[in-house]
Parts: sequence; structure tokens; C-alpha cells
Amino acid sequence: MDVLLTEEEMMVRTSARQFLERECPTTLVREMEEDSKGYPPALWQKAAELGWQGMSLPERYGGQELPLVFLGLVLQEAGRAVAPLPLHSTVTAALTIAQHAEEKLCEAILPGVAQGKTVLTYAVTELDGRTFADTVQTQAVAEGNQFVINGTKLFVDNFVAADHMLVACRTAPGSRGNSGLSLFLVDTKSPGISHTPLVTLARDKQSEVLFRNVRVAKGNLIGTLNEGAPIIESMLERGAVLLCAQMVGAARKDAEMAIEYAKYREAFGQPIGAFQSLQHMCADQIIWIDGGELLTFEALWLMDQGLPASVEVSQAKAFCNEKCEIAVRHSQSIHGGIGFMMEFDLHLWFRRVSAWSMKLGTTYEHRARIAHALIDLPGRVVLGRPVPVVAEA
Amino acid sequence: MNFGFSPEQEALRKEVLAFIKENLTPGVIAEVEGEEQEVSAGEESAGRKGLARRGPHLSELYRRIGARGWLGITYPKEYGGQGGDRISQYIVEEEFARVGIRVGLVGSGAPAILAAGTEEQKRDFIPRLISGEYSFALGFTEPHAGADLANLRCRAVRDGDEYVINGQKIYTTAAHVATHIYLMARTNTEVPKHDGISIFIFPMDTAGITVRPLVTIQNNPKAPVGTTYGAARTNEVFFDNVRVPKSALLGGENKGWRVGSTGLNLDRVGASRYLISVRRDEDIVNWLKENRHEGNSLGDDPAIRDKIAEMWIEAQVCRLMTMRSMSIVERGGNFTYEGSAEKVWAPEHGTRITEAITQMLGPYGQLMNGSPRTIEKGIFGHNVLGSFQSGINHGSVQIMRDQVARRGLGLPSQRKAQGARK
Ligand SMILES: Cc1cc2nc3c(=O)[nH]c(=O)nc-3n(C[C@H](O)[C@H](O)[C@H](O)COP(=O)(O)OP(=O)(O)OC[C@H]3O[C@@H](n4cnc5c(N)ncnc54)[C@H](O)[C@@H]3O)c2cc1C
Repeated sequence: MDVLLTEEEMMVRTSARQFLERECPTTLVREMEEDSKGYPPALWQKAAELGWQGMSLPERYGGQELPLVFLGLVLQEAGRAVAPLPLHSTVTAALTIAQHAEEKLCEAILPGVAQGKTVLTYAVTELDGRTFADTVQTQAVAEGNQFVINGTKLFVDNFVAADHMLVACRTAPGSRGNSGLSLFLVDTKSPGISHTPLVTLARDKQSEVLFRNVRVAKGNLIGTLNEGAPIIESMLERGAVLLCAQMVGAARKDAEMAIEYAKYREAFGQPIGAFQSLQHMCADQIIWIDGGELLTFEALWLMDQGLPASVEVSQAKAFCNEKCEIAVRHSQSIHGGIGFMMEFDLHLWFRRVSAWSMKLGTTYEHRARIAHALIDLPGRVVLGRPVPVVAEA
Repeated sequence: MNFGFSPEQEALRKEVLAFIKENLTPGVIAEVEGEEQEVSAGEESAGRKGLARRGPHLSELYRRIGARGWLGITYPKEYGGQGGDRISQYIVEEEFARVGIRVGLVGSGAPAILAAGTEEQKRDFIPRLISGEYSFALGFTEPHAGADLANLRCRAVRDGDEYVINGQKIYTTAAHVATHIYLMARTNTEVPKHDGISIFIFPMDTAGITVRPLVTIQNNPKAPVGTTYGAARTNEVFFDNVRVPKSALLGGENKGWRVGSTGLNLDRVGASRYLISVRRDEDIVNWLKENRHEGNSLGDDPAIRDKIAEMWIEAQVCRLMTMRSMSIVERGGNFTYEGSAEKVWAPEHGTRITEAITQMLGPYGQLMNGSPRTIEKGIFGHNVLGSFQSGINHGSVQIMRDQVARRGLGLPSQRKAQGARK
């Protein structure tokens, strides 16, 4: 038990921070909001040279095989710099491929990811808007040695940049909820795919993606037919907790800017940061962000140990959604009028943290999962021990 | 980062749990509940102090706990401790606290004595604090010095080899049962407030001390074991020409502020602090699960389920902040703001869960101990009255936020308003 960073973890964090401070100024962040692909390939390449995309991928595909905690630290820094890189969607999909796809698919995709040649994403959510897979309607029907996909996916992150995506489909006709689902690797350039860009709060690249008779080879199925739900779920959970790391990183930088501003902006003859009401807002910001960070890294650490982490992921995401959002809103308030101005950088963080709080599971969705584990499963609960616990005889 | 316990630590927890199962006899339980009964009388104490206060079952229990080496784990062997680590201490404290038995030295004064005491003080006090032979009342707060503690007026004047103490303390918990007092007093009135304060440690039966009870609102009727502020009464303590030897001084004359702050900070670390705030989360979840009826169950209500999860997450943050504080101390580091952050989050959570529970249980939430139809002996009703209290004592949440902002984030102090009255 030692929840502080080790020296090695500290080093990873520091070097990622220094790299992004050097390579990713806010001018670049703004430029990429207008860019058609939304990311600078040169920076993506440099990130690959640092081993970011392959950080937690197996060595045999060119990865570094480091624990997810390290990847979390890097994403935290990416969030801190609001780096316009398709890193989160790429690693979320890549880790699922590494864990569940057959060797041939891994060999075909993962080395390119580690080398910074490939961008990945995932497509689960549909019109319903909820994150978890039980709402999937998109159909994949077997035909010869292919599957034919029809349906519409929404909020597909970085679709315009992605080479491949993992698509959740219903493969058992008439199935409902979590049964009868499968996950496929699909080339984003496949015939029959079309997309419409969405205009988003974060000005990031999300798309509505239409699948009309899109054919994928049977070999592109990830895992067992009709039994994709646990795979999809673990992908979404890993994605959610890694997004938390990114949120916490962004929210902390954002709060730090407000705290610095409060030290020199004067009103009534003194720095506004001397007023207790503002001091307490700042104190709360840090308390919340610290709390989110602890929850996030506990979940990542549990995953690294191969222990169940579903409840912990949901704890982290539900908490970060609410608390990071209030924290960045506090920063806006502390900045008065200037924070509302386009030319001032603060909104770059505000808009992203707000948008991230709405994806990969809302507060209510995640709390419902926690409540289920706490209330519906047998055994008395004890805080600090895995939930649910089965009462000892 | 490591969020887990080592196999040795897990084994220790198992051992403690097995010990508790074997030794938490009806006799012990009756005495634990009786302890609270005794003080709830609200009258001048009969003076049952120190070890003598414990009934035969509890005395035997503590002897056995001591024989296992579970008292004073983090304290050096030469002072009666085990020279062990803080995490083990935490595990032992946590499991005993869950069944209402205090084994830690949180709030005992021991951390400050270890940090600032003379060799003689360490040898005298620490082993006896560990064994329970000695216990301290903490004499900080005065009628005119609460949050603004440095404003204290209780005077200690040097007279040869002695100090003569005059003044008053208030809300002095356990002063009627403690063997000793840990007293903050002013030894110099000529210097800035913080620089004229000293700490004295001496027996409560020293001539010239009077203890008067103050009864708290949480314990009428008698609260069940485990409420936020366990004791039914606290006290006022008056000092009338109380003479103590200069050897009662802890950490040097006029050094009291620093000595006290170090002690307080260390006192904020440990299982009991956060457990106070999160026990009700466990209670309500377990109650909801154990009282599920087909078609008519609070546990099925979506609003309640959402709130339960929200509160559970907050409780986890309490736990994790405690883990962080322990990690810092275990590495030999100092807090900049982390202890204060924990002291904001946990008590405020304790209040939020308490009030949330009242809105889950509705009219049942108001039932007090002894009433027909209570849920969990009425603990939730009692807690309504007292949960916020841990956000006031031992450093209020407002003061703790000040510390996070000023020490942690470097925000400036407010300038005194022009023409403000002194
Ligand atoms: C049940 C109980 C047990 C206790 N046990 C002990 C004990 O064993 N030993 C001991 O010494 N003391 C003890 N205390 C005292 C406790 O520590 C004090 O109550 C506490 O320090 C607050 O002091 P006060 O009551 O005088 O309130 P005040 O200092 O008058 O404060 C009143 C309110 O004003 C707020 N406030 C004060 N200053 C500021 C500021 N600068 N900025 C913003 N808000 C501010 C406070 O946060 C609080 O909300 C106990 C108290 C209680 C109720």
C-alpha cells in the first residue's frame, strides 16, 4: 500500500509533460480544431517514438508491455496539454484487439499502432445515446465467409482519422440486451460506409457513421460469435477509466490556471485569491481533482493486477464527470469575464472536460452499475473490500 | 503506485478478524455499550480513571490484544511499541474500530510526545498511553479561542521550578475520565500570539483543577455505539493556581504552537478518522439489501439507488485520501495540504450520507435509540444531530479549506479590513 507515484512513474509523467509543453502549444490545439483530420501526423509520429501508442501493448507487436497505470499517466498528460491526438480512441481499441483478437488480426493491426502509422477507434453507441452495449441495434448477418453490417453508429470518435474501428453489432437475430452481440474489426474505408461529422462542444472529430451492406471477413470477428458483450464491456470500461485520467489531467491544469490568476488579479485593493470565498472554491477544486485521480488510478491498478474493476471504473467516471465539471466551471467563475472570451485559452480545457463528462458513461449510467453491484448482489458490503463480497460463513 | 495490501498485511487482517470473532464476547459488548452508558449520566465523574475504568472483560480483551503486539504498533520498541509500520497499525485499528473497540493512538497526544518530548517524557508516557494506563484529555479550546486557537488566554507563569496555571478550557472531551491533560497555555503575552504558547502534560488530579460537565445533544436518549461523536458529555475545565513542575513542559517554552500542529496533523491520520464518516454508508447498503421485499423495497427505487452509489463513491474517496495520507507518512514525508483535504472531505461526506439516509428512510429516520420500530437502533437519527460535528472540532472545515488554499496552493492571506475592531 503506497498510493504515491514511484520514481519510474514520476519519470514517465515528467517526460510526457515536458514533451507536450515543448511540442503542443495551445496554438496547435486551436489549429487542430479547424483541421479536417483533427490531429497533426508529425506529433502523432513523435508520440509513437516515445512509445505512447504501444505503451501497454505486448512487446511482440512493438509495444512496451507496461501496466495500464503508465498509460494512464500519459493520458493524464495528454489531457493536461489538451493534446489534439487520437490517442485515447486508438489505445482503447488496440488494447481490446490485443486482448481478444486472434493472432492474425493482432499481427495485422498492432505493429502499425505502435509505430504511429495506424489510428483506431470504436463504435458502440447508437441513436439511444447510452454507452453500454445493451442498446445496440446495428445488425451483422453471416453470408458465406463474410458478415454484412447494417445500421447507424453515433459519436464515433476520430472516425475521420481512423483506419480501422471496432464495431459492436447484434448477430443473433431478435436478441435483446447483452445477449447476441459481437464485435468486429472494420476498415473505415470499406464500401457502404458513409459518415456525417457532428459539431461538438469540444470541437473534436466525432461522426455519425452509416453502415449500408458493409462486408467484413469472418476472420474480423473479435472473440466468439454472439458472446461479445463482456469484450465490449471491458473495452468500454478501459476506455472510461483512461478517459478519466485524461479528464483529471485537464481539470488539474485548468484549476492551476485559475489559482495562478487569483494570485495576481486584484479587486478591492488585494488579490482576489485572498478572499476566503475564492480560496475555498480553489481548495474544493483540488480536493475534487485529487479524489478523481485516486479513484482513477485505483481502478487502473486493479486492472493491472487482473482483479475485477468494474465498480471502481464506474466510481471514477461518475465522480470525475461531476467533480471535474464543477472544478472547470469554478475556474471560469474565478476568471470573471475574461474566461468567457474566445481569445483567452481557458475555454480549451473547459470545453473538453465538459464534453468528456458526457461520453463513455454518464454519472447516472455509472451509478446504476454501482448500485447494482452494491444492492442486487448477495453478501454484506464492507468499504475497502471488493464489492460485492459474499459473507463468510 | 500500489493500492493493495501485501500478503503479510492481508494475513494480519485475517488474524485480527479471527481474534475479534473469538474474543468479542457478550461480556465485552456489554461493557463497550456500558462505557457509553456510564458517561451519559452527565454528572460529575466518580473518578474512575485510566485502566480502572475498564470492566473485567475489556481489561482482559486489551491484555490479549497487547499480547498479540497490536497496541502501539508504530511506536519504537524502547517505548513499549512494536517498531512496526503504519499500514499494519491501520489494519488493526480499522478492524477493531468496526466493532467499537479503540486500539489506535489517534487523538492521544502520543504522536506529539514522540516527536517533541524529552527522553523521560517518552519513557513515562508512551508505554502507558499504549497500555491504556494513561489517557489524555486535550485542552486546547477556550470560550474565546476555538477556530482561532492562537487567541487562547489560559496563562502559565513560571515560578521557580514550577509553572502556575490559571484559566479555563471548554469542550474538553474525556476530562472527567482521563488521567492526564495535554494543555495549551500562554507563557508569554509580549510576543505575537503564536509565539507565546506552550504545551504542558500533567495529571488531572493535580490540585486546583475543576471539571464541569457539558452534555451534548446527540446522546439524549443514549446513543447507540458508533455515532459520530461517541461521548455523551464533554466538559469545561477550570485551572485555579494549578502548580506543575517545569518537567511538565512539552517541547520547550513558547514552542507550543509548532509542537501542537505537528501532533494534530499526525492525529488526523488513521482509520478511526475516516471510519467515523463512512460507517453509515455500509449500514444503509446492508440494511437495504437485507430488507428487500418483493414489489415493495426501497432498494428498488431508482432515486435511492442513484444516491446510494453517489455516496458510496464519496466514501471511497474518504478511504483513498486516508491511504494517501498514510503513504506520505510511511515514506517519511510531510503534509502540505493532504491532511487538511481529508479533514474537509470526510466529515462533509459524513453529513451528506447521514442526511441522504433520512430522505431514504423518511419518518423512520427520526426514531431514536430505545423507540419501538427503530432501524439500526436509531443511529441515523442520532447522527443527524452529530455528524456535522466532526466538521467543526479538531480543525473546522472552513479552517481546513483555508489551509489547503494557503499552504497547498499558495494563495495569499486576506488583508485586514481598514478600521476593523481588534
Ligand atoms: C463535541 C465536541 C468535542 C470537542 N472536543 C474537544 C477537545 O477534546 N479538546 C479541545 O480542545 N476542543 C474540543 N472541542 C472544541 C472544538 O475543537 C471547537 O469547537 C472548534 O475548534 C471550534 O471552536 P468554537 O466552537 O469556539 O467555534 P468558533 O471558533 O467560534 O467558530 C464558529 C464558526 O465560525 C467559523 N470560523 C471561525 N473562524 C473562521 C475563519 N477564519 N474563516 C471562516 N470561518 C471561520 C468556524 O469554522 C465555525 O463554523 C470539541 C468540540 C465539540 C463540539
